[in-house]
Amino acid sequence: MKIYFNRIVLLVGVSTFLLSGCSEPASDAPISDLETPDNTQEIQDYYASKPEFFSFKTLADIPPTLNWQNGTYLPEIGSTNAKKGGTEYTQIQDFPRTLRIVGPDSNGSFRPWILDDTSMQIGHRHPDKFEYYPGLADSWAVDKESKTIFVKLDSNASWSDGVPITSDDFMFMFWFFQSPYIVAPWYNNWYGTQYTNITKYDEQTFSISIPDAKPDMDARVLELRPMPQHFYKEVGDDFVERYQWRFAPTSAPYVIKDKDIKKGRLITLTRNKNWWANDKKFWQYRFNADRIRISVIRDTPKVFEAFKRGDIDQFGLNLAEYWYEKLPNNDADVAAGYIHKSVFYNQRPRPTYGLWMNTSRPLLENRDIRVGINYATNWQLVIDKFFRGDYSRMQTSSDGYGEFTHPTLKARSFSIEKALRSFAKAGFAQRGPDGILVNDEGQKLAFTLSSGWENLKDILTILKEEAAKAGLEFRVEVLDGTTGWKKVQEKKHDIHFSAFNVSLEMYPRFWETYHSDNAYDDAFLEDGSVNPDRKLITQTNNLETLSIFEMDDMIHRYRASDSKDEMKELAFAMTELHHEHASFSPGFYQPFFRVGHWRWVRYPESFSYKHARSGGQLFVHWIDTDMKEETLSAKNDGKSFEPQVRNYDQHAN
Amino acid sequence: MFRFNPQTLKKLRRFREIKRGYYSFLLLAGMLVLASFGELLINNRALVVSYEGELYFPTYSDFHPGTDFGLSYSYEANYRELKQQFKENGNENWVLMPIVPYNPYENHSPGGVFKPDPPSISNRHFLGTDTTSRDILSRLFYGTRIALIFSLAFMACVYVIGISIGCAMGYFGGIFDLTFQRLIEIWSNVPFLYMVIIVFSVIPSNFSIPARVAILLTVMVLFSWTSMTYYMRTETYKEKSRDYTAAARIIGASNTRIIFRHILPNALSTLVTFMPFTIVGAISAITALDFLGFGLPPPTPSLGELLKQGTANLRTAPWIVSSAFGTLVILLTLVTFIGEAVRESFDPKQFTIYR
Repeated sequence: MKIYFNRIVLLVGVSTFLLSGCSEPASDAPISDLETPDNTQEIQDYYASKPEFFSFKTLADIPPTLNWQNGTYLPEIGSTNAKKGGTEYTQIQDFPRTLRIVGPDSNGSFRPWILDDTSMQIGHRHPDKFEYYPGLADSWAVDKESKTIFVKLDSNASWSDGVPITSDDFMFMFWFFQSPYIVAPWYNNWYGTQYTNITKYDEQTFSISIPDAKPDMDARVLELRPMPQHFYKEVGDDFVERYQWRFAPTSAPYVIKDKDIKKGRLITLTRNKNWWANDKKFWQYRFNADRIRISVIRDTPKVFEAFKRGDIDQFGLNLAEYWYEKLPNNDADVAAGYIHKSVFYNQRPRPTYGLWMNTSRPLLENRDIRVGINYATNWQLVIDKFFRGDYSRMQTSSDGYGEFTHPTLKARSFSIEKALRSFAKAGFAQRGPDGILVNDEGQKLAFTLSSGWENLKDILTILKEEAAKAGLEFRVEVLDGTTGWKKVQEKKHDIHFSAFNVSLEMYPRFWETYHSDNAYDDAFLEDGSVNPDRKLITQTNNLETLSIFEMDDMIHRYRASDSKDEMKELAFAMTELHHEHASFSPGFYQPFFRVGHWRWVRYPESFSYKHARSGGQLFVHWIDTDMKEETLSAKNDGKSFEPQVRNYDQHAN
Repeated sequence: MFRFNPQTLKKLRRFREIKRGYYSFLLLAGMLVLASFGELLINNRALVVSYEGELYFPTYSDFHPGTDFGLSYSYEANYRELKQQFKENGNENWVLMPIVPYNPYENHSPGGVFKPDPPSISNRHFLGTDTTSRDILSRLFYGTRIALIFSLAFMACVYVIGISIGCAMGYFGGIFDLTFQRLIEIWSNVPFLYMVIIVFSVIPSNFSIPARVAILLTVMVLFSWTSMTYYMRTETYKEKSRDYTAAARIIGASNTRIIFRHILPNALSTLVTFMPFTIVGAISAITALDFLGFGLPPPTPSLGELLKQGTANLRTAPWIVSSAFGTLVILLTLVTFIGEAVRESFDPKQFTIYR
């Protein structure tokens, strides 16, 4: 479910220094109690105790007038030339701390391999057309009136251990995610409040209802993934330990065998030859490699060296220094055609890179100062000089949502005069001996600018140097990823440089980041004025501690609305209000992804798809083993091929 | 007037005779002197500006906004551009820049994008630039200065604490000695590196950079003074049982007098030999911590940070790692040479029959 992602901040290149990679847990065997617990009865009781949520009906109860659809008219994904087979060599920064997909430590960089990018949902958004194509479903129907989506599962759908996937697994999913055993409050909340009912009609047919009808209400249900009830029979108080290293049966094409887990070093995925969706229209040309060997390499420079040696097959070249300097077009391996370089321009919601100002802090509560900071932040210089003009300026905090993104609003661009004027309005009109503005009380205009991204710290120093010209001092603080995230979650930051990863959705979310419920316990009095006794609340994503009565109202209307036009109007109004409030300085976005890959990693003609996040996300590439042999021997003999540096800009703005 | 006793003078003479150590000492002392006037050599502020018949010396003064020199902006004047401009205008005004006209923080990219540029005399980047186009010579110079000041401060603190506690342990002995020995044993088993990492992860962010450096220094001192107490304790024990100490006591000298006039001067000669090695240790430690990202907060110039950049760009920008590595090698070698010479000249075996 893509929703999970919204809770993670992008932790680009976090090195977990304290993690001891070499310590082997005492035993890999599942904790063997004398008796294996069985929760079947407990689950039945739970269903019975919530009859309004878990219902059982017969096929005759399905409304006959439904408009069933299955998206099969959408184009196939992947290339007909794709060959199955071969081993893909890749890398991960840290060894996964668990094989669980939920609960403590599960939300790491490894999970996409076993869940987010590989396992099947009821339906998936087509990466070009944005509409849904079937995953586990045979067909589905949306009933706006009753806010319900009906689903018929594919009768062949089965888990990797051969057990069929049925409606029971979906009912179980709700029990599982609502249960306290999984130690994941966010899931408890989401599955407890965002759905109102699941009804089983037969083994293959069920329906799920949601509280509000939305223009994209199908997304909320179709992007659900069932949980294998037969495997989670032992879920109880000790879930976290009991399932720590057990690989769950999956709907994904890749499985992990026990012998392929080398703790701390290497983990290998194996393609399930009997995967039920092998020949399905949207799945047949994807997930081509037989095995994927993921080894742990912590340092990015080392990963690059491994790539250059051919030990790993692909390397992300998003950073300018890699694209232009470390692997330039005249690099020996590129010039000889052994390594190909590709740029693919995509279109999708953009992660919100920018400066998040904590408006509950002294000085930052003053709008004039925030406006001044916006003007004193030279993102264009960062884009031009650090990213070499490849990236683009982010204009609002919700860029990339197509028609839901404000069409005309522009972020404030760097201007020393405007910044000075704005600071002067807030009383900072004099420069001190070091050129930083001071007010009449002698207070300096200085803020801590923190970030959890060690590898982007240079951006902060550039911003600092530029801001000083406008008399503003940034005290740069670079933390490690976890500490940085903890700091903003506790709302202890002044200004934080960060971004929320966003998923492919129809329209942006506002509640998480801009609703006062996520800033203060009781933000406003009855009449809409500020409650003087309100207290900050922590552990939410409202990093600006933004609380505007008007905004709250609009968010409520936005969330309750089922009209696309009304929602668009509200989204624009909220974006404008947010811009006016000036508590966010929009940074940059990367309108493409770039990959370097050895010649034997083959991609489809169009390389990737309009809404793809990265080259590997859709698994449309394949490993050509003959070509690998040919390339390696050619490299030995000094033979070369046509160099390939390709630019796929068919989806560029 | 303060006078060295003949013994010390003899030792100092011997030190001068050991050429390698002596010249290393002179070189390092020269570097320190140079470093204390560093702003005059490596800086983006001009040494002298002559504008409209008036002379300005911006190096150590308050900042001069561009408007002071007839420029349109109110932030600090860019003296390099100013120089260019005065030259082009061809009037009486002139600017004298330092040899390296860059400060360690500014991004100056001749090519327009921030990337490592190779050493170039025409750009006055004598050692090239780092990954964000900051002058390496400038960063090395100020980084080294900070490392030297830091390690000197570190040494002073460690010696003050180590000597006083060690001396007290040796002099008073008994329960006091026993308790402190046990405490030290426990204390010295706390892993130093982890403590630094933990302490740094909980420091509130509103601390300024000098405060953070001071905290780093405190933490390092807290975990480093213990080893010094061992030497001091044994040394004091030894001196305490000598006849001259007994004599002083019989005459009725106070503890303070005995410690400061009799024991300390005699014990110090051995401790002096440790000093350079403590400095070497401190420089390596601060460099290692910076390398790991737990040392001086960015963007403070530091050797470790440069080394880290260098190792990440070995292929594409070898000049980063070579300058940082070269500086570190030269610095540590000099200090080690001094240390060896000091040890040799202070070696008591040369002059006595004590074994």
